[in-house]
Amino acid sequence: MKATVLKIAMAAGLMAGVATGAMAQQKNVTIGVSIPAATHGWTGGVVYHAQETAKQLEKGYPGLKVIVKTSPDGASQANAIDDLTSQKVDALVVLPFNSDELTNPMREVKKRGTFVTIVDRGLKDPSIQDIYVAGNNPEFGRVAGKYFVDNLKQGNVVVFRGIPTVIDEERVTNFEKALEGSGVKVIDKQYANWNRDDAFKVMQDYLAKHPKIDAVWASDDDMALGVMEAIRQAKREDIKFVLGGAGMKDMIKKVMDGDKMIPADVSYPPSMISTALGVTAAHFYTNAPMRGTYTLNAQLITKDNAKEHYFPNSPF
Amino acid sequence: MTETVLRSSAEKRRFNIDMRALSPFIALAVLIMAGALINPDFLTASNLLNVVTRSAFIAIIAVGATFVIAGGGLDLSVGSMAALTAGVMILTLNNLGGGDVGTLALGMLAAIALSAACGLANGLIVTFGRIEPFIVTLGTMGIFRSLVIWLAAGGTITMRNFDLRELYRPVYFGSVFGIPVPIIAFLVVAAIGALILYRTSFGRHVVALGSNEDVARYSGVPIWRVRTLTYIIQGICVGIAVLVYVPRLGSATPTTGLLWELQAITAVVIGGTALKGGIGRIWGTVVGAVILELVANIMVLSNFVSEFLVGAVQGAIIIIAMLVQRSVHRGR
Amino acid sequence: MESVLRAENISKSFGPIEVLSGISLDLKPGEVHAVIGENGAGKSTLMRILSGHIAPTKGTLHLNGQPITFSGPVDAESHGIVLVHQEILLAPDLTVAQNLFLGREIRRFGFVDDKAMRERTRAILHELGTGIDPDREVSRLSIADRQLVQIARALLVPHKVVAFDEPTAVLTPVEAESLFEIIRKLRAQGVAVLYISHRLNEVKAVSDRVTVLRDGRHIATRDIEGLEPLEMARLMVGRDMSKLYPEKPATASDQPLLSVRDMAVPGYVENASFTLHRGEILGFGGLIGAGRTELFEALVGLRPGHGTVALDGKPMHFRDAREAMAAGIVYLSEDRKGKGLLLQQNLRVNLTLAALEKFSRGSFIDGNGEETALDKAIKDFDIRTRRRDLLAGQLSGGNQQKLLLAKMMLVEPRIVIIDEPTRGVDIGTKEQIYRFIASLAAEGRAVVVISSEMQELIGLCHRVVVMRNGRVAGEVAQADLSEDSIVYLATGVHEERAAEIAAGHA
Repeated sequence: MKATVLKIAMAAGLMAGVATGAMAQQKNVTIGVSIPAATHGWTGGVVYHAQETAKQLEKGYPGLKVIVKTSPDGASQANAIDDLTSQKVDALVVLPFNSDELTNPMREVKKRGTFVTIVDRGLKDPSIQDIYVAGNNPEFGRVAGKYFVDNLKQGNVVVFRGIPTVIDEERVTNFEKALEGSGVKVIDKQYANWNRDDAFKVMQDYLAKHPKIDAVWASDDDMALGVMEAIRQAKREDIKFVLGGAGMKDMIKKVMDGDKMIPADVSYPPSMISTALGVTAAHFYTNAPMRGTYTLNAQLITKDNAKEHYFPNSPF
Repeated sequence: MTETVLRSSAEKRRFNIDMRALSPFIALAVLIMAGALINPDFLTASNLLNVVTRSAFIAIIAVGATFVIAGGGLDLSVGSMAALTAGVMILTLNNLGGGDVGTLALGMLAAIALSAACGLANGLIVTFGRIEPFIVTLGTMGIFRSLVIWLAAGGTITMRNFDLRELYRPVYFGSVFGIPVPIIAFLVVAAIGALILYRTSFGRHVVALGSNEDVARYSGVPIWRVRTLTYIIQGICVGIAVLVYVPRLGSATPTTGLLWELQAITAVVIGGTALKGGIGRIWGTVVGAVILELVANIMVLSNFVSEFLVGAVQGAIIIIAMLVQRSVHRGR
Repeated sequence: MESVLRAENISKSFGPIEVLSGISLDLKPGEVHAVIGENGAGKSTLMRILSGHIAPTKGTLHLNGQPITFSGPVDAESHGIVLVHQEILLAPDLTVAQNLFLGREIRRFGFVDDKAMRERTRAILHELGTGIDPDREVSRLSIADRQLVQIARALLVPHKVVAFDEPTAVLTPVEAESLFEIIRKLRAQGVAVLYISHRLNEVKAVSDRVTVLRDGRHIATRDIEGLEPLEMARLMVGRDMSKLYPEKPATASDQPLLSVRDMAVPGYVENASFTLHRGEILGFGGLIGAGRTELFEALVGLRPGHGTVALDGKPMHFRDAREAMAAGIVYLSEDRKGKGLLLQQNLRVNLTLAALEKFSRGSFIDGNGEETALDKAIKDFDIRTRRRDLLAGQLSGGNQQKLLLAKMMLVEPRIVIIDEPTRGVDIGTKEQIYRFIASLAAEGRAVVVISSEMQELIGLCHRVVVMRNGRVAGEVAQADLSEDSIVYLATGVHEERAAEIAAGHA
């Protein structure tokens, strides 16, 4: 894990160096980027970071061209990848909707000699990806679970799930695993689609159903906001805190300000796309070996380290 | 065998029509009984008020959809339109910057004006462009949705002024004589809608247009005007729904109003309005919206449905509710 | 001769209402047996029982002397009994051959054998005396050709009994004549033909025996010999029908009320000119497709057209039916079900639709006023309905026409244009409608009657304008009204004579 962090630091350093023009080599490289469209706060963050980083990199590396394509669903993403490869890209950076579905199309891309970088959700066949910048969903669940064990110790917790996907499944199973053997008990879990309005409704129903709830794992900052409104409406005093996830700026602000209900958050930064773009570009413009896996760990954000995670200019 | 019948049977007639319009209410009653059996917490006043309150957006939008559908049209853009209207309303409030009632009123006015304009656009394209409403509103659905994503730059549009937010909050969370404001809002909207649809010549023209456009035309009904007006009414209803929606979370996101169009259409159909037009039932629509929300509530409250199967059970309940209605129709 | 299909004491009830009681009927091979009666007399119900669509409540059917019950129309077909429906029941986007074999495709190795079906279709159509292309889509056929395809489809299965339900309702006289040829051919092959029609002249021309029903009861079965249409009408209605047409009111004037000059409707009508006088009943004759309907639809703004229209000498242009109504002109469509009435709505909604502003107080509809108007309409127009809350679609054709008349009269028009006023209407109601039209003229209104029934134009109108191929072919004055004079103008046969008539009386 340490090595990974080191590598990232190195990549960042390289980027910075390049940006000053110290090592600039004149070379024409095109990088295609395929990411989900901004239909949710987190993906909105991804789009924002991808575009910002693309601009920076194009400035830093003369001759570099970055094409960013967003897609509203898995099927259109497969089409978008076709479109990108037909534009003769040297590298393709992909944040897949569904890594299983994309494994075969990406194998075709790879066969043509395109450099492949995968972000967040790894392909079924890891040999396809030259670089894998991994979000760590099991860790995301574990960190959250550990927080409940450490801070609540004993009591009833209700859980909000996102949209039925592998990501969601990994987070929730590992969350529950982390609770095993402790006094913290999950008394209910429902899907709320990573959506504020749905989380609001489900929380209202939880409050009607369960007379005593000690804490809420909203598992997502958007959902946490809906949950907070429902608690406020019901004027319930039994709930000690709500733990979200992802690192939305409004939530980080609350953590920084010492909000009692939001004492912490778990990071899952949309800026991982920037890391992926950075190392991919570095592969073409430096001689350092860049291939490999970079794991970004889910980090617990508390009042102490909240500042490092606060990006007031990001839309997310 | 055939014989001229005068007034004498008018009483019987009223009774028959009542039975038909009553059937969504019967489905609702059955559902409430089922809910009570599943979880005693279901029948608490606070739970029922919560459920009815949050059905308000869909109910208000669906009242508008009743006009469009009864007139033989369809509007798929309402969810996106709601998101766009909410986004623009919040941005307007933020730009005005004030925390007073005047600011709020201006923002509300902007919301209604925008949604009415969106409805007008839908109506004009459908009537003058002579394009299937399904296609037109599918197009505007994408346009409105993209506009709100663009305005939000992929993130969230949030009300910035804290005072204004507190001032506005009671419009969702407040109540008058114990009845939450959103419930009052949708009852008023439904009452006005019923008055327009059942008691005015415009309403009669809507039904005639939905029954058979040719007959309406040959009978001198100004069909273009009537059709466009149904879409404007739909737009205004979306605007009103947004006025009640925004104070709840104080924000609009790219996922605001997602799939509301389907919920609104479902509510309309559960309520007994014919999807092919020609029959419009405002009160049934309102009940349909409550039924939809109630089903979701019962699912969360029940303990024996795995969260993975909630969707399947919801679908089944809606179909059963329709079957209950159908059997009531047959029984008459 | 032994009968092929015999019905004995057939009764049918829907709930408490008995629509047929104790009907007996026997069909012999090689005869054309007509069943006539007013609308609601039970003809269609009887037909549907005989062809297995519904089961009788009481009574038995015998096929070749053996008692039999049909489980459904397919069962009846397998016994050689086929029904040619009144409505066109074909899939418009499929070809003629595909329609003919729809649901009974010829298969070869599990796949449909288009070639074989095409050949069979061609052969059957040829037998019927028509050269319709089997590969043509049905939507591109004329109504008459569709009817032929429908007959061909019915005759595809081996048949002993063929039942025709009002087959000539959509046909021109020429087309009807070729249908009769087909029926005679079937008869010659020893097939029993059951023939339902309103048109008593046709019954006289084509059938061997006639059974008359009235109010669900059997009135008489007679040989056609010596049975004249007038007597048939008397049996159907139960009273003397010699006076079908009322006296023509003496109100026809020569003060022009509406004058139309050089009216053109792209694709349908060219240079049509005519004048309508106060208090007159002006007939419009011609073959189907001559452009009469289109001319008047364009006149009242229901379809694009141009020309000079003057009402009371003032030039007018109507952009839609609303403007025409405001000027006092109403048009009653020939397509009652498609363009005249909202079949899914009740009588009240239909009645007041065109004149809704008369029933409004402020922005709201006056429900009581509507109910009063409905009471009055039911009384004045003798609309016969079991219940007041029936839907318009549940009324018989005659009562629908009365409702449509009542609806348009609420507009209080000065000019009434009625397209095919008695199509699909039984004879008793016809008489009522004729009397009503005469009374309109007697009140000083002007009436235009568009009709394909020659007798109707002659019996009802003061003057008849005849159209052919989108043009006004000529005009026949009251004194010269005869079938001959109208047919000549309508068909263009004996061109010189037609021109003489036109010149003589224009």
